[in-house]
Amino acid sequence: MLRRRNLLTTLLIALPWALLLTLWHQYPTTHYLNLLRSKCKSSREGGFPSCTRQQQSIGAVPKIIQNYVYSRPPPWSDTLPTIFVITPTYTRPVQKAELTRLANTFLHVQNLHWVVVEDSPRRTNLVSNLLEKAGLNFTHLNVETPKSLKLGLSWIPSHTPRGTLQRNLGLHWLRDSFSNTAPPEGVVYFADDDNTYSLELFEEMRYTRRVSVWPVAFVGGLRYESPKVNPAGKVVGWKTVFDPNRPFAIDMAGFAVSIKLILEKPHASFKLEGVKGGYQETSLLKDLVTMDGLEPKAANCTKVLVWHTRTERPTLVNEGKRGFTDPRVEV
Amino acid sequence: MKSLLFSRFLLLLPWVLIVIIVLDIDSSRAPLPALSPRGGAEGGSGGARPPAPRRRPEAALPTIYAITPTYSRPVQKAELTRLANTFRQVSRLHWILVEDAAARSELVTRFVAGAGLPCTHLHVPTPRRYKRPGLPRATEQRNAGLAWLRQRHQHLPPPQPGVLFFADDDNTYSLELFQEMRTTRKVSVWPVGLVGGRRYERPVVENGKVVGWYTGWRADRPFAIDMAGFAVSLQVILSHPKAVFKRRGSQPGMQESDFLKQITTVEELEPKANNCTKVLVWHTRTEKVNLANEPKYHLDTVNIEV
Repeated sequence: MLRRRNLLTTLLIALPWALLLTLWHQYPTTHYLNLLRSKCKSSREGGFPSCTRQQQSIGAVPKIIQNYVYSRPPPWSDTLPTIFVITPTYTRPVQKAELTRLANTFLHVQNLHWVVVEDSPRRTNLVSNLLEKAGLNFTHLNVETPKSLKLGLSWIPSHTPRGTLQRNLGLHWLRDSFSNTAPPEGVVYFADDDNTYSLELFEEMRYTRRVSVWPVAFVGGLRYESPKVNPAGKVVGWKTVFDPNRPFAIDMAGFAVSIKLILEKPHASFKLEGVKGGYQETSLLKDLVTMDGLEPKAANCTKVLVWHTRTERPTLVNEGKRGFTDPRVEV
Repeated sequence: MKSLLFSRFLLLLPWVLIVIIVLDIDSSRAPLPALSPRGGAEGGSGGARPPAPRRRPEAALPTIYAITPTYSRPVQKAELTRLANTFRQVSRLHWILVEDAAARSELVTRFVAGAGLPCTHLHVPTPRRYKRPGLPRATEQRNAGLAWLRQRHQHLPPPQPGVLFFADDDNTYSLELFQEMRTTRKVSVWPVGLVGGRRYERPVVENGKVVGWYTGWRADRPFAIDMAGFAVSLQVILSHPKAVFKRRGSQPGMQESDFLKQITTVEELEPKANNCTKVLVWHTRTEKVNLANEPKYHLDTVNIEV
């Protein structure tokens, strides 16, 4: 009789604790609910919307949403390497659209500094206003490509290395802003304004030690071009159809260089004249690294994380010679 | 005596805790759609990110529903990726992706699983006879999106605030646009850039009302506006259950007019974007990709999705 009673009491005692443990296991946030509530109330003025979602996270809300949705760039972290993105741009009807959707992508990436270099004699209001409103960390530069270069090179449109002066100015700014003796942790990436970038790409390139490479879609007349990686994880060649024997048969969007390397080699920049079609990237990379020093990313170059999309020129036939629409409305 | 009290207290303590916790859970649980995809990348992308800063999910903030028809071609994944990057910046946006296919494709299924925002994946094939150039495109897909929306809301009793718009996968949307459309009461309109052979097309607004259309192409249409230039409130969609995009007797370029005719009049339109003077959406189109160098037979050792 006594034994049974003892059993019953132990059961009665153990049962609620077991229930509590399962509840806590299922809903780990409940324990912190009260703490969060008080934290939320105090930090709401600071504009930190981070905590309110937690209260609702019990149940069927998937985790992935909580990680990716931001309304402004994630706060700057002092420990994460910075990604400097150099984007040459030039005035044309789709410019604002391209920069807008590029900004929408960059707003997701932490510790990103956008260096926009316009091909124009003066910094335009369109780009200045866009950069101010976007909320990103940015640097706005400009340098005009001399008409002689534009005309001379446009004879063979496929061989026109556009954006060269602008990219070099971006590199120059980096070398001016940071000293070689105390280089920041970071990486430089050349992002054209009409390409498409996945968010994964930026995390792949962030920890580049010297120069990292990955596949790029829709270049060289192929679905994608990629570096050839041997089983040991070293780059041994290039999987391209167009001139695979180039020292670096890779597109501008397919590599990133660490800041340290850029500062160590102050004379490395894109060659402006006498560059054969497809050799622009080589003109920079040959002064920075050799093929065996390349770091393959994107799962040993088997995933496509950047697409070399190009935007159609809009048909503005109805504008006529003098322009029909109000030029004061910015498009 | 003391020990008896002590033991009684210890006995009751866990039950009290359980009751408190259950009450807490019940009070803070809110009805959410169960369609959100589950993802794996919790550790995600490097560094300590603040968890989920959506705007406070008050019941009053209307959900924006974006219906996007899509079809398989080389740039599909790229277009959807950059569209997702934009949509992820918008709070309370529910993306309805409708494929022009007889079955769900693997590419889009995988994409939706990792998209990072609430997404519904539908599919409906376009009959071959409607695939000729000059005929309106994506009609069946948009109608499928409308049907899903209507079916989903017929069970929910009180009118849920919501706004619906049609987002083609190659257009470009600024974040300001979503703030503007969220306050739609019935049907709102705004300018669209790079369309109609002009830098922009827009409704002409006088005294806060739409009085005409500023467009380069067939300005005599009842609603001379592009698919990207208007949004409809959910209430209007639900109260006009027969309003769909028509196939029979549809002329090219009249899709938007035929649809809007069924649900509203020009007088009721709400102009947004500062009385239709700012361009917040652009009708960009992506070039067809040059794949001239692809080998005839698959020669690579791995099969990579692009």
